Amino acid sequence: LGGDALLPAPQSISILSTNMKHFLTWSPVIVQGATVRYSVEFQGEYEREYANGSWIPISECALTTATVCNVTDDISATVAYKLRVRAELGATRSQWGTTKGFFNRAMTSLTPPLLRVVADGHHLLLELADMGPSFQFRVLYWRKGQESRVQQKVVKEVSSMVHLDTVEAGAEYCVKAQAHVEAIDRSSSFSPTQCVRAQGDTSL
Amino acid sequence: SVTEIRAGFRAIKANIQSRDPVRSLSILSHPQSLHKVKSSDRCCITHQLFTFYVDKVFKHCRTEDSFVNRKISSIANSFLSARRRLGQCHEQNNCPCGEESTEKFKQILANYEGLNVTSAAMKSLGELDILLDWMEKSR
Repeated sequence: LGGDALLPAPQSISILSTNMKHFLTWSPVIVQGATVRYSVEFQGEYEREYANGSWIPISECALTTATVCNVTDDISATVAYKLRVRAELGATRSQWGTTKGFFNRAMTSLTPPLLRVVADGHHLLLELADMGPSFQFRVLYWRKGQESRVQQKVVKEVSSMVHLDTVEAGAEYCVKAQAHVEAIDRSSSFSPTQCVRAQGDTSL
Repeated sequence: SVTEIRAGFRAIKANIQSRDPVRSLSILSHPQSLHKVKSSDRCCITHQLFTFYVDKVFKHCRTEDSFVNRKISSIANSFLSARRRLGQCHEQNNCPCGEESTEKFKQILANYEGLNVTSAAMKSLGELDILLDWMEKSR
């Protein structure tokens, strides 16, 4: 291949973003019998407005053969970003393919947290799956039948089991939770409700 | 958020501060520390400092190190986002600029313009933890 024009720019460039993890993806550029590589760059609002529209290369995705690039570490502010990717084959480089429109991390899709509720003796415990450093959790719990007396606990760090409450023997307690990201001021929907029965006999 | 800015800065602090040849001078703390600023003036001087970093400092901090450049971009875009939120306070007149903050900011600009632009920018960036510490203490 000679000259830039012969190598087509990558197409179908898009960002997949879930739970504050952002991935740039594109369709492969096919050249029979050859291995095409790709390089990715990003541009934040700062670069557009204050740094002459400069672009910054992402070294982890320089000359990669993959058609996906983890851009989470670089999309690290709540502003509008653009990303671009080009194909490279030897000394030949394609034109840049650029994301249509802007991407702001506030657009990430947030899924409800995974949780497991445990009644351990007289204690109602909660285990939450870690969703990353940006996440906090809002936990609602109540005694079954007393839906009007819902209690709330905000969990800022997921390190171990969370002690929700001490409970009455034999009673059933229900729990649900939602994830919250302070940096973008958004929350996920609530998880399905989970109920457990505290051990022991209520008739004593 | 300040947490994210601090994490980004911590990753490049040693690299940036090693590029500061004039250790005896300070941009933010000379002659008086930020901690002397009255609480009523804090919002204004924070807004002024964010504007200072966005308009004057970051653009002169480009390095030959890709990792450092990416972290500076992260910090710069976070400053932009934070300044926008502070700007809303400014518009709603909740961010008054008293005489003291005006004087303090003038002093910072004078300190900055007393050095050549690249040294001044690198020094200012290297002093980011002074600003972040002051912001967190005065929250």
